[in-house]
Amino acid sequence: MIEVKDVTKKFGRKQVLKGVTFTAEKGEITCLIGINGVGKTTILNAIMALTPINSGQILIDGSAINKKSYEKITFIPDAITMLPQMTIGQSMQFMQDFYESWNQERATELLGFFKLKPEEKISSLSKGNTAKVNLLLGLALDVDYLLMDEPFSGIDIFSREQIANVFTSHLVEDRGVIITTHEINDIEHLIDQVVLLDDGVVVKAFNSEEVRENEGKSVVDVMREVYQQ
Amino acid sequence: MNVSFNKRDPVYIQVVRQFKERIATGTFEPGQEIPSRRELANQLKINPNTAQRAYKEMEEEGLIYTEGNNPSRITKDEHVLAAVRGELLEEAVDSFMTSIRRIQIPFDELVEVMKEKYQEQSGKEGGEIK
Repeated sequence: MIEVKDVTKKFGRKQVLKGVTFTAEKGEITCLIGINGVGKTTILNAIMALTPINSGQILIDGSAINKKSYEKITFIPDAITMLPQMTIGQSMQFMQDFYESWNQERATELLGFFKLKPEEKISSLSKGNTAKVNLLLGLALDVDYLLMDEPFSGIDIFSREQIANVFTSHLVEDRGVIITTHEINDIEHLIDQVVLLDDGVVVKAFNSEEVRENEGKSVVDVMREVYQQ
Repeated sequence: MNVSFNKRDPVYIQVVRQFKERIATGTFEPGQEIPSRRELANQLKINPNTAQRAYKEMEEEGLIYTEGNNPSRITKDEHVLAAVRGELLEEAVDSFMTSIRRIQIPFDELVEVMKEKYQEQSGKEGGEIK
């Protein structure tokens, strides 16, 4: 479980996080939702200890992030970090050389899943395929938790569908996933937990099936209530 | 299996409903093997936890059964099978009655129209009224 407890973060004078609290379980997909600039990426960076927090606590399976727990998590940023002149195959090789947790079998399977060719250059890929390669490089690591920053942003509908299919497959099974997004429509029925952020705090956190069952509301219905008050 | 889900009902209930329809129409035969939780999630593009929940619900209702480590199967229990058909029929008639009551059509007229429509539909599908 990833526990984010009362986390605050300032950038200069700007208080981006004003006491954010939520948990994300293993085996579940937790979706951080909020309009742009609300601090979603900052939260992911804070979980990865890539950005220092001003106060609060973040626990991974009960302890603060350390070298061991760092190897249990992977962060997939919203843009690919490989050099444009590299091919997909070279990027995979790079990851394999760099990360002990690289799972070549799963990587090969993902190539097929996304219908990507290893000889293609990163620079020649469409936006959708770039997003898929980016995702592949993260998903192929044997980690317990995956943090994905805006995996659906700015790509075509078919690529979005293909990426969404990853979440229902064994490629993600039993892992804990946190994704940030501001487009929920395609994935409403795929996610377990929803965390709605606004103005640096969590305004509502709920299980999507429970809100449908107990209140007869869709995730978007709840968002409308929260954000359009 | 190809299903489109509405966004306001729990997904697991919609999955159970799909199974009931397929059981009632005979698409799923008694004793037939059903996909694993993972396969179902994949096929229907739903969360694996939701697929798990739907299977749990169906086990509890006796719609499916699992023996040991074998794949789950559709029940052979005739009472359960008859009940599924009855439940779907009653539900359909209930919602039909609700919309009919709103426009206050006399019973005889209603029956006539229903017969006509049913024949029309069966004609299209190449079948007869059973």
